Amino acid sequence: MKRSFVSALALAAAFTLPAGATWWSPGDGTPFPARYDDADADGVTRILLDGGPMETKGHPFFEAKGKYGRACVTCHQPSDGMSLSAETARIRWQETGGKDPLFAAIDGANCPDLAQGERASHSLLLDYGLFRIARPWPPVDHDGQKIEPDFTLEVVRDPTGCNASKVWGLAAPDPQVSVFRRPRPVANFKYILAMGFAVDPKVGKPLPIDPETGKMVSGNLMADRRVLSLEAQMRDAAHSHMGFDALTADDINRIRDFEDRLFVARQHDRVGGDLDAMGARGGPETLARSEPGRLGSQGTAVFSEFAAWEKIPADAVITPEQRAYRESVARGARVFRERMFLITDSAGINSPVGFGNPVRNSCVFCHNMSQMGMDVAPGQVDLGTTTMPFADPQPHLPLFRITCKGPPHPHYGRVIHTHDPGYALTTGRCEDVGKITLQTLRGLTGRAPYFASGSARDLRAVIDYYDRRYNIGYTEQEKRDLVNLMGAL
Amino acid sequence: MRRMMTALLALLSFNSVAQAADAVRFISCPIYRDTDAGRKSGCWLAEERETGRRFDITQSATKPDWSMAVLVEGRIAEKQDNACGATVLEPVRVSVLPDQACTRAMIPAEGFPGRRFVLPPRNIRPIHAPDPAPPPSYTARLFLIPFDYGRDFVVYQQSDWMLVNAAAYARAAGGRVLVTGYAETEPLRVSGQSLSEPASLAKSRAEMARLWLVSLGVPADRVHLDWKPNPAPLADPAFDGLTETSRRRVDIRIEP
Ligand code: HEC
Ligand code: HEC
Repeated sequence: MKRSFVSALALAAAFTLPAGATWWSPGDGTPFPARYDDADADGVTRILLDGGPMETKGHPFFEAKGKYGRACVTCHQPSDGMSLSAETARIRWQETGGKDPLFAAIDGANCPDLAQGERASHSLLLDYGLFRIARPWPPVDHDGQKIEPDFTLEVVRDPTGCNASKVWGLAAPDPQVSVFRRPRPVANFKYILAMGFAVDPKVGKPLPIDPETGKMVSGNLMADRRVLSLEAQMRDAAHSHMGFDALTADDINRIRDFEDRLFVARQHDRVGGDLDAMGARGGPETLARSEPGRLGSQGTAVFSEFAAWEKIPADAVITPEQRAYRESVARGARVFRERMFLITDSAGINSPVGFGNPVRNSCVFCHNMSQMGMDVAPGQVDLGTTTMPFADPQPHLPLFRITCKGPPHPHYGRVIHTHDPGYALTTGRCEDVGKITLQTLRGLTGRAPYFASGSARDLRAVIDYYDRRYNIGYTEQEKRDLVNLMGAL
Repeated sequence: MRRMMTALLALLSFNSVAQAADAVRFISCPIYRDTDAGRKSGCWLAEERETGRRFDITQSATKPDWSMAVLVEGRIAEKQDNACGATVLEPVRVSVLPDQACTRAMIPAEGFPGRRFVLPPRNIRPIHAPDPAPPPSYTARLFLIPFDYGRDFVVYQQSDWMLVNAAAYARAAGGRVLVTGYAETEPLRVSGQSLSEPASLAKSRAEMARLWLVSLGVPADRVHLDWKPNPAPLADPAFDGLTETSRRRVDIRIEP
């Protein structure tokens, strides 16, 4: 209660509440309300806990477990849209002198063997919101069997030193590849787990089958799809981020129940007002009520939640600023769906499925799920965010040289340079290098920077990346409309 | 020769309208014409070097990659709409040849409109609104699944739909499911090149079909696998009258 009270106060005051002011520590004990409003300088992000409030005292998502003193909530903060912004990490660093368990050496540092307590050792988390993700090399499949990769992996450079470390690196007794990734939001799983079609056209195969249950699954979890269910994800998270290997069946059920009930979306804009006003259907309520996993092109058009704002009556009682904002968001949704450009050399889209290379389409080709803007089919696509030559310069990250042993990569050729091979770290296939699972596009404002490696510092940088990547040629107004739309999701 | 005769016969018996003179088969580099009539509306063209004829190959389920050569197999369409500025092939099948690099070529729309995307009739239904199960009575049925040259990839909005239908029938009908994969290992001369598929492709196509059937609910112990090189061509609606492409296929025989 205290928490939402603070948020409400901040909203009433001059929107000056800095992000991170509402840090939720493990063991905090505050009940999770049915409706959690987090105010920031530009508006309010709302989290719905569908089905009513929940005690967090003793709840496995909220209580510290394991060696590092962390809980799930440490990296999935309600005030950051259930992810964690780099800004929040910086504030936390200042407030605790770097002592918060968030900065645990295992993955909250650039490498565990660096001098802890020094800012430089945690620069990737503090500057870009990145956690170290260590993947076994060679990869193991979902049944735990070693995969023989069809490419070799060498380290070209590694400012973190971690891939060369004798303990943590590729030459360690348990060889690992360290890549650095943003936390993905823990919410809206009704959509993330939804299966629209029984097949994945991108790979020309039926949906993956979870070996634990023998059932088909959506294949939309984690940047590299290394787990197929939320349960497997919990074990992976507890082990790698928390140093805890003893989640009980009850823990798993309780986390799952919490995850299934969470919906996050922007609810209010400082200028534009409520995002579900005047016929619009923004905010998480619509998410909790809609059917998941539907293709926007065959049903409810993606982000048509704001269609009612396309034609605001002349006599509507709103300020000119409000009108301008709402019209901009509505135009942004049109641009998102209808402004065409040539999508080129993006494996998963331009190959191997026969959409063609290039193929003319819009943002919605990949972000095609109604309400959510993720991919209805498993969303492993190489947008180029982590891979040369399309990645923006990221001198702070390790760079790997991948050499395909079998057939060359359809777009990059035989030798590929990448900061994060993404899905290829799960499959061991050269054709999957650089593929990153699309995220949901809801509740974006609280979780900058964007893209898996945090390469886009804000939403404008996301749009600018696309403009460069696909040579789109957006006008300044189109860019502003898209940024306003993203901010309203 | 004999094989060609069979093919021709099969072709004639299947589609008497198709004249041999309308048949087109060549290898070339694709050209992308940047038309814009909304999503997926760009045009794909390819020039038959032997004759200098430029064709519109956009209607193929598989579209080209502008950096790789294509094998084009089609018929000159009876209805020509000139939406892309070249002679329309329809039906047409395009196979991408990744080993043959092409210089990327993109030309402007030059006033040609392209075509608005329409959902092809062969499209898989979503899980929330599936097709009804095929009604009884169940008899032995053969489902033919086409593949692109040199690949075991299941072609989007074409072969995927056929596999889903085969699985639905197999689930409803029960009984044995015999899957036979084929590859066209016998060399084929096209545009002065000799094309032939590796024998191993017959097996990987069969395994791919089995993966689909079993994942879509056909009990694994009912699916029997076989693979062979060089089948005789077969006229079947699955090939849209392009019987010459039918040797790259999987047969799924369902015996209730
Ligand atoms: C140290 C920070 C940290 C902790 C602690 C943590 N996570 Fe995460 N979480 C991440 C990161 C980073 C990712 C993205 C990893 C990737 O994509 O490879 C992630 C991804 C996820 C995802 C995937 C969401 C999606 O859409 O793909 C889920 C679910 C999740 N975490 C749940 C949990 C749970 C449950 C716990 C506690 C058991 C937990 N996390 C603890 C950092 C953390
Ligand atoms: C070719 C497929 C494709 C197209 C087209 C596409 N995206 Fe994406 N999008 C992706 C992928 C893949 C990711 C994940 C990449 C990553 O995390 O590095 C992504 C991520 C994003 C994110 C980041 C979300 C986050 O939490 O970090 C935003 C925002 C976004 N896209 C917006 C857009 C907009 C706006 C457009 C149109 C200009 C667009 N996308 C077009 C594939 C696509």
